[in-house]
Amino acid sequence: MRDLIKRYRNLLLAAALLIATLLLYSYNLRQKDATTFFERAVLTLASPFQSVIDNITDGISDGWQHYLWLVDTEKRNDQLEQENSQLHSALQQVEEFRLQNERLRKLLAFVDDLDRPALPAQVIGEDVSSWARTVTIDKGSRAGLRAGLPVVAAEGVVGRIIKAAPNSSRVLLVTDASSAIAAMVQRTRTRGVVRGLGAKMSLDYALRGADIERDDLLVSSGMGGVFPKGLPLGKVSGVERDQYGLFQWVEVSPAVDFSHLEEVLVIVGEDQ
Amino acid sequence: MKGFVGYLLFGLLALLLRTSVFPLFLPPGFCPDLLLVLVIYLGLSENMLRAVLVTLLLGGMQDSFSSTTLGLYIFVYLAILLLVRLLSEQLNLESPPLLVLLMIGGTFVQNFLLVCCLTIFADAGPVVQILLPSLAEQMLANLISASLLLFLVLKIQFLFGNRAGLARLGYQSKRHGI
Repeated sequence: MRDLIKRYRNLLLAAALLIATLLLYSYNLRQKDATTFFERAVLTLASPFQSVIDNITDGISDGWQHYLWLVDTEKRNDQLEQENSQLHSALQQVEEFRLQNERLRKLLAFVDDLDRPALPAQVIGEDVSSWARTVTIDKGSRAGLRAGLPVVAAEGVVGRIIKAAPNSSRVLLVTDASSAIAAMVQRTRTRGVVRGLGAKMSLDYALRGADIERDDLLVSSGMGGVFPKGLPLGKVSGVERDQYGLFQWVEVSPAVDFSHLEEVLVIVGEDQ
Repeated sequence: MKGFVGYLLFGLLALLLRTSVFPLFLPPGFCPDLLLVLVIYLGLSENMLRAVLVTLLLGGMQDSFSSTTLGLYIFVYLAILLLVRLLSEQLNLESPPLLVLLMIGGTFVQNFLLVCCLTIFADAGPVVQILLPSLAEQMLANLISASLLLFLVLKIQFLFGNRAGLARLGYQSKRHGI
């Protein structure tokens, strides 16, 4: 027996070693979560070296990529510039949508307050002459629009339709010289007629003794049957009372900024 | 003792390269396993006792650096070492291409043993499907790295007139034993 062992000593030792390592593996499998002393020691010993090597390779890689290996840089730069331009354009479009969304939300809120059916429309053109104040909207008789319908925006009264084509309509703005709307001062209920003056408006037929002050809000009075009562027309920006005369002169700034008008609502129905 | 520590330091360096440097420049399948090169070298040229001890420690280090359970690579490297030692008795170690062929065989055996252990003991899931596709890449990477190492070490040792260690393989080698 001893001879046999002696003869196959190497082989037996090798087999014993292999079995021992397998047993070690098998034992450790049962304690997967535990970190052995050996593993801790190796990792502790290696971690400073790893940090140093990591820093060095980072530095080399950085230097190589930023200062030496610049073969593709120009091509990449062109590509990135193109991409940047596309993204910039897309971003502008998104911003445009956001602003439009904001405006439409205001309009919708306004429609809710209005309590009347209204049709949204887009401003697609302005007046070609320098004296008339009209805009063209993208809805016409096919959408049920006709001359005389009031047009409003979230901020207040825009004007009324004066011409309706099948797919577009022309809107006379409240600032046009030929526009006149029955109005009243919200605070004092003083009545008058708001007439267009180009950029501004005036409140006509306001009695000299009436209490009107700067920043008073003017709203539609509902008289005349075109505009519903209570829609904002503008704010008083100036008041002049002559020593003599029946009426006072009142200058009104429109509530709507017509230079930035994009979406409007055409009020198509009667009071609900 | 100097040689023993030298091997361990080389092993540590190989692991650090494998974990921190190679992944920056090489795709995952192409990262060479320098420890396998070292184990095969130990099997061919080193004193058996020292080779076994170093291999056990290298296997443990590999286990510590990878997510495997301690013992897996110890077993795999030890098996490869013993196999290489067994084969080296029958081979002409003066032929450098033989080392290269041993690397191919070593990589294959390593993957085979890993699959066996993981399947039988650990029930690690479809390891074959993971290891098999990258086997060819791994073999190629190990082959190239072993060839480069052999060339470099022989060149350095030739320059410094030192014919010990790996260079000894080119002249005489079959004098090892437990």
